[in-house]
Amino acid sequence: MFIRSTRAGLYGLAVALFPLSPALAHEIVGNRFFPATLGIDDPGVNDELSFPTVDSFKTGDDPSVRQRDISGEFSKRITEDFAIAFGSTYTFLGPIDPTSAGANGFQNLETTFKYRLFKNIEHEFVMSVGLSVEWGGSGSASVGADPFNTYTPTVYFGKGFGDLPDTLSWVRPVAVTGQVGYGVPGRNSTTTFGIDPDSGEVTADTEFHPRVLNWGGTIQYSMPYLKSAVVDLGLPDFFNHLVPLVEATLQTPIANTLTSGRQTTGTINPGVIWVGNKFQFGVEALIPINRQSGSNVGVIGQLHFYLDDIDPRGIGKPLFGNAVSAARPSARN
Amino acid sequence: MPRPFLFALMAFMLGLASEVQAHATLDHSEPRVGNTVATAPHEVTLWFTQKLESAFSSITVTNAAGERVDSGKTRVSGSQMSVTLRAGGPGAYKVNWRVLSSDTHATEGSFSFQVGH
Repeated sequence: MFIRSTRAGLYGLAVALFPLSPALAHEIVGNRFFPATLGIDDPGVNDELSFPTVDSFKTGDDPSVRQRDISGEFSKRITEDFAIAFGSTYTFLGPIDPTSAGANGFQNLETTFKYRLFKNIEHEFVMSVGLSVEWGGSGSASVGADPFNTYTPTVYFGKGFGDLPDTLSWVRPVAVTGQVGYGVPGRNSTTTFGIDPDSGEVTADTEFHPRVLNWGGTIQYSMPYLKSAVVDLGLPDFFNHLVPLVEATLQTPIANTLTSGRQTTGTINPGVIWVGNKFQFGVEALIPINRQSGSNVGVIGQLHFYLDDIDPRGIGKPLFGNAVSAARPSARN
Repeated sequence: MPRPFLFALMAFMLGLASEVQAHATLDHSEPRVGNTVATAPHEVTLWFTQKLESAFSSITVTNAAGERVDSGKTRVSGSQMSVTLRAGGPGAYKVNWRVLSSDTHATEGSFSFQVGH
Protein backbone atom coordinates (compact mmCIF):
# COMPACT_ATOMS: atom_id res chain seq x y z
CA MET A 1 0.00 0.00 0.00
CA PHE A 2 1.12 3.50 -0.59
CA ILE A 3 0.95 5.50 2.60
CA ARG A 4 0.56 9.09 1.71
CA SER A 5 -0.81 12.31 2.98
CA THR A 6 -2.75 14.61 0.74
CA ARG A 7 -4.69 17.76 1.19
CA ALA A 8 -8.03 18.40 -0.33
CA GLY A 9 -10.24 21.38 -0.65
CA LEU A 10 -13.75 20.60 0.56
CA TYR A 11 -16.12 23.50 0.81
CA GLY A 12 -13.18 25.83 1.08
CA LEU A 13 -11.50 23.95 3.90
CA ALA A 14 -8.26 22.04 3.78
CA VAL A 15 -9.00 18.48 4.75
CA ALA A 16 -6.18 16.14 5.67
CA LEU A 17 -6.83 12.78 4.11
CA PHE A 18 -5.15 9.42 4.36
CA PRO A 19 -6.41 7.40 1.41
CA LEU A 20 -6.01 3.75 2.29
CA SER A 21 -5.03 1.86 -0.81
CA PRO A 22 -5.04 -1.92 -0.61
CA ALA A 23 -1.74 -3.43 0.40
CA LEU A 24 -0.45 -6.15 -1.84
CA ALA A 25 2.09 -8.92 -2.10
CA HIS A 26 2.07 -11.95 0.10
CA GLU A 27 5.41 -13.66 0.35
CA ILE A 28 6.74 -17.09 1.22
CA VAL A 29 10.24 -17.63 2.59
CA GLY A 30 10.86 -21.22 3.63
CA ASN A 31 8.55 -22.05 6.50
CA ARG A 32 7.36 -18.46 6.65
CA PHE A 33 4.31 -17.08 4.93
CA PHE A 34 3.98 -13.31 5.10
CA PRO A 35 0.31 -12.47 4.48
CA ALA A 36 -0.67 -9.37 2.56
CA THR A 37 -1.14 -6.78 5.28
CA LEU A 38 -3.74 -4.03 5.05
CA GLY A 39 -1.75 -1.02 6.16
CA ILE A 40 1.68 -1.37 4.65
CA ASP A 41 2.94 -3.30 1.69
CA ASP A 42 4.61 -6.64 2.21
CA PRO A 43 8.22 -7.46 1.49
CA GLY A 44 7.73 -9.65 -1.58
CA VAL A 45 6.17 -9.79 -5.01
CA ASN A 46 3.45 -12.05 -6.35
CA ASP A 47 0.37 -12.29 -8.57
CA GLU A 48 -2.60 -11.15 -6.54
CA LEU A 49 -5.71 -9.07 -6.33
CA SER A 50 -6.96 -7.03 -3.41
CA PHE A 51 -10.61 -6.35 -3.92
CA PRO A 52 -12.32 -4.84 -2.23
CA THR A 53 -10.53 -2.92 0.47
CA VAL A 54 -12.97 -0.75 2.39
CA ASP A 55 -12.33 1.67 5.21
CA SER A 56 -14.13 4.29 7.23
CA PHE A 57 -12.74 6.90 9.57
CA LYS A 58 -12.98 10.56 10.55
CA THR A 59 -10.21 12.82 9.34
CA GLY A 60 -8.07 14.93 11.64
CA ASP A 61 -9.47 18.21 10.41
CA ASP A 62 -11.48 20.61 12.50
CA PRO A 63 -14.31 19.97 12.01
CA SER A 64 -13.49 16.42 11.00
CA VAL A 65 -14.96 14.75 7.93
CA ARG A 66 -16.20 11.17 7.66
CA GLN A 67 -14.15 9.50 4.92
CA ARG A 68 -15.00 6.16 3.35
CA ASP A 69 -12.90 4.48 0.70
CA ILE A 70 -13.31 1.47 -1.52
CA SER A 71 -10.27 0.40 -3.44
CA GLY A 72 -8.71 -2.35 -5.45
CA GLU A 73 -5.24 -3.29 -6.56
CA PHE A 74 -3.92 -5.85 -9.01
CA SER A 75 -0.34 -7.06 -9.05
CA LYS A 76 1.24 -9.00 -11.91
CA ARG A 77 4.64 -10.63 -11.90
CA ILE A 78 6.67 -9.90 -14.98
CA THR A 79 9.46 -12.18 -13.82
CA GLU A 80 9.74 -14.29 -10.67
CA ASP A 81 11.19 -11.33 -8.77
CA PHE A 82 9.64 -8.30 -10.50
CA ALA A 83 6.02 -7.21 -10.44
CA ILE A 84 3.92 -4.22 -11.42
CA ALA A 85 0.85 -3.28 -9.38
CA PHE A 86 -2.03 -1.03 -10.38
CA GLY A 87 -4.31 0.49 -7.78
CA SER A 88 -7.32 2.75 -7.61
CA THR A 89 -9.41 4.17 -4.79
CA TYR A 90 -12.88 5.69 -4.77
CA THR A 91 -13.47 8.09 -1.89
CA PHE A 92 -16.67 9.28 -0.26
CA LEU A 93 -16.36 12.37 1.91
CA GLY A 94 -19.16 13.08 4.31
CA PRO A 95 -20.36 16.67 4.47
CA ILE A 96 -19.08 19.05 7.09
CA ASP A 97 -22.38 20.85 6.87
CA PRO A 98 -25.20 18.26 7.36
CA THR A 99 -27.31 20.10 4.82
CA SER A 100 -24.67 19.72 2.11
CA ALA A 101 -24.16 16.82 -0.22
CA GLY A 102 -20.51 15.94 0.49
CA ALA A 103 -18.09 14.92 -2.22
CA ASN A 104 -16.92 11.73 -3.81
CA GLY A 105 -14.63 10.62 -6.61
CA PHE A 106 -11.56 8.65 -7.55
CA GLN A 107 -8.16 9.21 -6.05
CA ASN A 108 -5.24 9.31 -8.44
CA LEU A 109 -4.30 6.03 -10.08
CA GLU A 110 -1.21 4.40 -8.63
CA THR A 111 1.39 2.15 -10.16
CA THR A 112 4.09 0.34 -8.22
CA PHE A 113 7.17 -1.30 -9.70
CA LYS A 114 8.66 -3.74 -7.23
CA TYR A 115 11.71 -5.98 -7.29
CA ARG A 116 12.65 -8.64 -4.77
CA LEU A 117 16.30 -8.08 -3.96
CA PHE A 118 17.10 -10.78 -1.47
CA LYS A 119 15.58 -13.82 0.17
CA ASN A 120 17.15 -16.00 2.87
CA ILE A 121 15.11 -19.10 3.64
CA GLU A 122 17.09 -20.17 6.71
CA HIS A 123 16.56 -16.86 8.48
CA GLU A 124 13.15 -16.14 6.94
CA PHE A 125 14.36 -12.79 5.69
CA VAL A 126 13.32 -11.01 2.52
CA MET A 127 13.95 -7.53 1.15
CA SER A 128 12.53 -5.70 -1.86
CA VAL A 129 12.73 -2.27 -3.40
CA GLY A 130 10.05 -0.43 -5.29
CA LEU A 131 8.97 2.77 -6.93
CA SER A 132 5.38 3.93 -6.61
CA VAL A 133 3.99 6.54 -8.95
CA GLU A 134 0.79 8.41 -8.21
CA TRP A 135 -0.43 9.75 -11.52
CA GLY A 136 -1.42 13.36 -10.95
CA GLY A 137 -4.66 14.55 -12.46
CA SER A 138 -6.11 11.07 -12.90
CA GLY A 139 -8.35 11.51 -9.87
CA SER A 140 -10.86 14.03 -8.65
CA ALA A 141 -9.66 17.23 -7.00
CA SER A 142 -12.82 17.31 -4.89
CA VAL A 143 -11.54 14.36 -2.83
CA GLY A 144 -7.97 15.59 -2.64
CA ALA A 145 -6.34 14.02 -5.69
CA ASP A 146 -3.30 16.08 -6.59
CA PRO A 147 -2.90 17.46 -10.11
CA PHE A 148 0.77 16.44 -10.16
CA ASN A 149 2.62 13.14 -9.97
CA THR A 150 4.17 11.87 -6.75
CA TYR A 151 7.10 9.46 -6.84
CA THR A 152 7.85 7.26 -3.84
CA PRO A 153 10.91 5.02 -3.84
CA THR A 154 10.50 2.49 -1.05
CA VAL A 155 12.43 -0.26 0.71
CA TYR A 156 10.49 -3.24 2.09
CA PHE A 157 11.66 -5.97 4.43
CA GLY A 158 10.30 -8.96 6.33
CA LYS A 159 11.84 -11.12 9.01
CA GLY A 160 10.42 -14.22 10.65
CA PHE A 161 11.76 -15.50 13.93
CA GLY A 162 11.69 -19.17 13.03
CA ASP A 163 15.46 -19.33 13.52
CA LEU A 164 15.21 -18.77 17.27
CA PRO A 165 16.44 -21.59 19.53
CA ASP A 166 14.15 -24.26 20.96
CA THR A 167 13.96 -22.46 24.30
CA LEU A 168 12.10 -19.65 22.53
CA SER A 169 9.97 -21.86 20.31
CA TRP A 170 6.74 -20.03 21.20
CA VAL A 171 8.22 -16.86 19.74
CA ARG A 172 9.03 -18.51 16.40
CA PRO A 173 5.62 -17.71 14.87
CA VAL A 174 6.39 -14.00 15.32
CA ALA A 175 7.40 -11.99 12.28
CA VAL A 176 7.98 -8.34 11.58
CA THR A 177 7.70 -6.46 8.32
CA GLY A 178 8.39 -2.86 7.48
CA GLN A 179 8.71 -0.29 4.78
CA VAL A 180 10.38 3.07 4.43
CA GLY A 181 9.56 5.30 1.49
CA TYR A 182 10.24 8.88 0.51
CA GLY A 183 7.42 10.62 -1.32
CA VAL A 184 8.60 13.28 -3.74
CA PRO A 185 5.88 15.44 -5.31
CA GLY A 186 6.42 16.36 -8.92
CA ARG A 187 5.61 19.96 -8.06
CA ASN A 188 7.12 21.96 -5.20
CA SER A 189 4.20 24.32 -4.69
CA THR A 190 0.84 25.41 -5.97
CA THR A 191 -0.22 29.04 -6.01
CA THR A 192 -3.88 29.95 -6.11
CA PHE A 193 -4.89 33.44 -7.13
CA GLY A 194 -8.03 35.15 -5.90
CA ILE A 195 -9.58 38.53 -5.27
CA ASP A 196 -9.89 40.05 -1.83
CA PRO A 197 -13.60 40.81 -1.41
CA ASP A 198 -12.88 43.85 0.74
CA SER A 199 -10.08 45.57 -1.14
CA GLY A 200 -10.67 44.08 -4.59
CA GLU A 201 -6.95 43.37 -4.88
CA VAL A 202 -5.55 40.19 -6.33
CA THR A 203 -4.31 37.74 -3.69
CA ALA A 204 -1.98 34.80 -4.02
CA ASP A 205 -2.10 31.76 -1.74
CA THR A 206 0.82 29.36 -2.03
CA GLU A 207 0.78 25.80 -0.72
CA PHE A 208 4.06 23.96 -0.56
CA HIS A 209 3.94 20.23 -1.23
CA PRO A 210 6.17 18.49 1.29
CA ARG A 211 8.46 15.57 0.71
CA VAL A 212 7.15 12.93 3.05
CA LEU A 213 8.76 9.98 4.76
CA ASN A 214 6.23 7.15 4.51
CA TRP A 215 7.14 4.55 7.05
CA GLY A 216 5.52 1.77 8.94
CA GLY A 217 5.73 -1.77 10.15
CA THR A 218 3.88 -4.79 11.41
CA ILE A 219 4.34 -7.36 14.13
CA GLN A 220 2.38 -10.52 13.54
CA TYR A 221 1.87 -13.90 15.17
CA SER A 222 1.18 -16.69 12.70
CA MET A 223 -1.09 -19.45 13.96
CA PRO A 224 -0.51 -21.39 10.70
CA TYR A 225 3.20 -21.27 11.46
CA LEU A 226 2.59 -22.40 15.02
CA LYS A 227 0.68 -25.45 13.84
CA SER A 228 2.94 -26.54 11.00
CA ALA A 229 6.39 -25.69 12.32
CA VAL A 230 6.30 -25.35 16.12
CA VAL A 231 3.54 -27.31 17.81
CA ASP A 232 0.21 -28.72 16.68
CA LEU A 233 -2.08 -27.94 19.62
CA GLY A 234 -5.09 -29.62 18.07
CA LEU A 235 -7.00 -26.34 17.93
CA PRO A 236 -10.18 -25.99 15.87
CA ASP A 237 -9.22 -25.49 12.25
CA PHE A 238 -10.49 -21.90 12.13
CA PHE A 239 -7.88 -20.75 14.65
CA ASN A 240 -5.07 -22.40 12.71
CA HIS A 241 -5.70 -19.91 9.89
CA LEU A 242 -5.45 -16.71 11.95
CA VAL A 243 -2.65 -14.17 11.96
CA PRO A 244 -3.26 -11.54 14.65
CA LEU A 245 -1.15 -8.48 14.05
CA VAL A 246 -0.56 -4.82 14.78
CA GLU A 247 0.38 -2.43 12.02
CA ALA A 248 1.68 1.12 12.12
CA THR A 249 1.36 3.43 9.13
CA LEU A 250 3.05 6.78 9.58
CA GLN A 251 3.85 9.86 7.53
CA THR A 252 6.43 12.47 8.44
CA PRO A 253 6.94 15.57 6.28
CA ILE A 254 10.68 16.00 5.86
CA ALA A 255 11.33 18.79 3.39
CA ASN A 256 9.49 21.69 1.78
CA THR A 257 7.36 21.87 4.90
CA LEU A 258 6.71 25.62 5.07
CA THR A 259 2.94 25.26 4.89
CA SER A 260 2.49 21.64 5.95
CA GLY A 261 4.47 21.55 9.17
CA ARG A 262 6.53 18.55 10.22
CA GLN A 263 4.22 16.69 12.51
CA THR A 264 4.07 12.94 12.09
CA THR A 265 0.62 11.56 11.46
CA GLY A 266 -0.70 8.07 11.04
CA THR A 267 -2.50 5.20 12.67
CA ILE A 268 -1.84 2.11 14.76
CA ASN A 269 -3.90 -0.78 13.43
CA PRO A 270 -4.54 -3.86 15.56
CA GLY A 271 -6.41 -6.58 13.74
CA VAL A 272 -6.44 -10.11 12.42
CA ILE A 273 -6.06 -11.84 9.04
CA TRP A 274 -7.64 -15.17 8.18
CA VAL A 275 -5.34 -16.95 5.76
CA GLY A 276 -6.54 -19.59 3.33
CA ASN A 277 -4.83 -21.32 0.46
CA LYS A 278 -6.35 -19.12 -2.23
CA PHE A 279 -7.55 -16.02 -0.48
CA GLN A 280 -7.40 -14.16 2.79
CA PHE A 281 -9.63 -11.79 4.67
CA GLY A 282 -8.45 -9.15 7.10
CA VAL A 283 -9.95 -6.53 9.37
CA GLU A 284 -8.20 -3.91 11.48
CA ALA A 285 -9.02 -0.94 13.65
CA LEU A 286 -7.52 2.41 12.64
CA ILE A 287 -6.36 4.19 15.80
CA PRO A 288 -5.04 7.69 15.07
CA ILE A 289 -1.77 8.52 16.84
CA ASN A 290 -2.77 12.16 17.41
CA ARG A 291 -5.58 14.61 16.73
CA GLN A 292 -4.10 15.56 13.38
CA SER A 293 -4.36 11.93 12.29
CA GLY A 294 -8.04 11.48 13.00
CA SER A 295 -10.76 12.17 15.47
CA ASN A 296 -12.01 8.67 16.19
CA VAL A 297 -11.18 5.00 15.69
CA GLY A 298 -11.85 3.85 12.16
CA VAL A 299 -11.96 0.44 10.57
CA ILE A 300 -10.51 -1.21 7.47
CA GLY A 301 -11.32 -4.57 5.90
CA GLN A 302 -9.95 -6.38 2.88
CA LEU A 303 -10.56 -9.43 0.73
CA HIS A 304 -7.40 -10.56 -1.00
CA PHE A 305 -6.94 -13.25 -3.65
CA TYR A 306 -3.77 -15.21 -4.36
CA LEU A 307 -3.84 -15.41 -8.13
CA ASP A 308 -0.75 -17.61 -8.18
CA ASP A 309 -2.81 -20.24 -6.36
CA ILE A 310 -6.12 -19.66 -8.09
CA ASP A 311 -4.68 -19.95 -11.58
CA PRO A 312 -1.05 -21.14 -11.32
CA ARG A 313 -0.71 -21.91 -15.02
CA GLY A 314 -2.49 -18.80 -16.27
CA ILE A 315 -2.71 -15.34 -14.81
CA GLY A 316 -0.95 -16.52 -11.67
CA LYS A 317 2.43 -17.19 -13.21
CA PRO A 318 5.15 -14.73 -14.23
CA LEU A 319 5.00 -13.51 -17.81
CA PHE A 320 8.61 -14.57 -18.24
CA GLY A 321 10.55 -17.26 -16.46
CA ASN A 322 9.75 -20.13 -14.17
CA ALA A 323 6.13 -20.79 -13.25
CA VAL A 324 7.09 -22.74 -10.15
CA SER A 325 6.86 -20.74 -6.96
CA ALA A 326 7.01 -21.46 -3.30
CA ALA A 327 3.71 -22.05 -1.59
CA ARG A 328 2.23 -21.35 1.77
CA PRO A 329 3.69 -24.11 3.90
CA SER A 330 0.95 -24.22 6.44
CA ALA A 331 -2.40 -22.68 5.58
CA ARG A 332 -5.23 -24.40 3.84
CA ASN A 333 -8.86 -23.79 3.06
CA MET B 1 -18.34 0.88 -9.86
CA PRO B 2 -21.79 -0.43 -10.79
CA ARG B 3 -23.10 -2.74 -8.08
CA PRO B 4 -24.10 -5.66 -10.38
CA PHE B 5 -20.60 -5.69 -11.83
CA LEU B 6 -19.12 -5.64 -8.34
CA PHE B 7 -21.18 -8.62 -7.23
CA ALA B 8 -20.45 -10.51 -10.42
CA LEU B 9 -16.71 -9.97 -10.03
CA MET B 10 -16.75 -11.09 -6.40
CA ALA B 11 -18.82 -14.16 -7.25
CA PHE B 12 -16.38 -14.99 -10.05
CA MET B 13 -13.35 -14.70 -7.80
CA LEU B 14 -14.93 -16.65 -4.96
CA GLY B 15 -15.98 -19.29 -7.45
CA LEU B 16 -12.43 -19.61 -8.67
CA ALA B 17 -11.16 -19.76 -5.13
CA SER B 18 -13.47 -22.58 -4.22
CA GLU B 19 -13.20 -24.71 -7.35
CA VAL B 20 -9.66 -24.52 -8.59
CA GLN B 21 -7.06 -26.77 -7.01
CA ALA B 22 -4.41 -24.94 -5.02
CA HIS B 23 -0.96 -26.24 -4.18
CA ALA B 24 -0.06 -28.68 -1.46
CA THR B 25 0.41 -27.41 2.08
CA LEU B 26 1.07 -29.36 5.23
CA ASP B 27 -2.14 -30.26 6.98
CA HIS B 28 -0.93 -32.47 9.80
CA SER B 29 1.60 -35.11 10.61
CA GLU B 30 2.18 -38.24 12.66
CA PRO B 31 3.92 -37.78 15.05
CA ARG B 32 2.23 -34.41 15.42
CA VAL B 33 4.27 -31.26 15.00
CA GLY B 34 6.04 -30.30 18.22
CA ASN B 35 4.51 -33.11 20.25
CA THR B 36 6.09 -35.83 22.37
CA VAL B 37 5.62 -39.54 21.76
CA ALA B 38 6.48 -42.26 24.26
CA THR B 39 8.48 -44.48 21.94
CA ALA B 40 10.39 -43.89 18.75
CA PRO B 41 8.03 -44.13 15.76
CA HIS B 42 8.71 -46.57 12.93
CA GLU B 43 7.85 -43.93 10.35
CA VAL B 44 6.91 -40.31 9.87
CA THR B 45 3.80 -39.54 7.84
CA LEU B 46 2.75 -36.13 6.52
CA TRP B 47 -0.67 -35.26 5.11
CA PHE B 48 -0.96 -32.41 2.63
CA THR B 49 -3.87 -30.53 1.19
CA GLN B 50 -3.25 -31.56 -2.41
CA LYS B 51 -1.88 -34.42 -4.43
CA LEU B 52 1.88 -34.59 -4.62
CA GLU B 53 4.34 -35.29 -7.41
CA SER B 54 6.34 -38.22 -6.06
CA ALA B 55 9.44 -37.50 -8.11
CA PHE B 56 10.07 -34.18 -6.40
CA SER B 57 8.75 -34.79 -2.89
CA SER B 58 10.85 -36.02 -0.01
CA ILE B 59 11.23 -36.25 3.76
CA THR B 60 14.43 -36.37 5.76
CA VAL B 61 14.59 -36.94 9.53
CA THR B 62 17.59 -36.22 11.73
CA ASN B 63 18.23 -36.91 15.39
CA ALA B 64 19.58 -34.51 18.00
CA ALA B 65 23.12 -35.18 16.77
CA GLY B 66 22.14 -34.19 13.25
CA GLU B 67 22.43 -37.75 11.89
CA ARG B 68 19.97 -39.02 9.31
CA VAL B 69 17.65 -41.63 10.80
CA ASP B 70 15.30 -42.07 7.85
CA SER B 71 15.58 -44.84 5.28
CA GLY B 72 16.07 -42.38 2.44
CA LYS B 73 13.10 -43.73 0.51
CA THR B 74 10.08 -41.46 0.70
CA ARG B 75 6.76 -43.04 -0.24
CA VAL B 76 4.13 -40.82 -1.82
CA SER B 77 0.51 -41.78 -2.18
CA GLY B 78 -1.92 -39.09 -3.27
CA SER B 79 -1.65 -36.31 -0.73
CA GLN B 80 0.19 -38.45 1.82
CA MET B 81 3.94 -38.86 2.18
CA SER B 82 5.83 -41.21 4.54
CA VAL B 83 9.33 -42.30 5.32
CA THR B 84 10.49 -45.24 7.44
CA LEU B 85 12.79 -44.55 10.39
CA ARG B 86 15.62 -46.66 11.71
CA ALA B 87 15.40 -47.62 15.37
CA GLY B 88 16.17 -44.64 17.57
CA GLY B 89 16.21 -43.61 21.19
CA PRO B 90 14.75 -40.76 23.20
CA GLY B 91 15.47 -37.20 22.20
CA ALA B 92 14.57 -34.53 19.69
CA TYR B 93 14.03 -35.33 16.04
CA LYS B 94 13.80 -32.87 13.19
CA VAL B 95 11.70 -33.47 10.10
CA ASN B 96 12.52 -31.61 6.88
CA TRP B 97 10.11 -31.94 4.00
CA ARG B 98 9.86 -30.68 0.49
CA VAL B 99 7.02 -31.30 -1.93
CA LEU B 100 5.91 -30.40 -5.40
CA SER B 101 2.19 -30.37 -5.91
CA SER B 102 0.50 -31.38 -9.13
CA ASP B 103 0.01 -27.71 -10.05
CA THR B 104 3.81 -27.14 -9.97
CA HIS B 105 4.08 -25.20 -6.69
CA ALA B 106 7.03 -26.19 -4.54
CA THR B 107 6.73 -26.08 -0.78
CA GLU B 108 9.21 -26.80 1.96
CA GLY B 109 9.22 -26.75 5.72
CA SER B 110 10.48 -28.35 8.87
CA PHE B 111 9.37 -29.21 12.38
CA SER B 112 10.47 -31.19 15.40
CA PHE B 113 9.03 -33.84 17.68
CA GLN B 114 10.27 -35.47 20.84
CA VAL B 115 10.65 -39.10 21.81
CA GLY B 116 10.48 -39.91 25.50
CA HIS B 117 9.91 -37.31 28.18
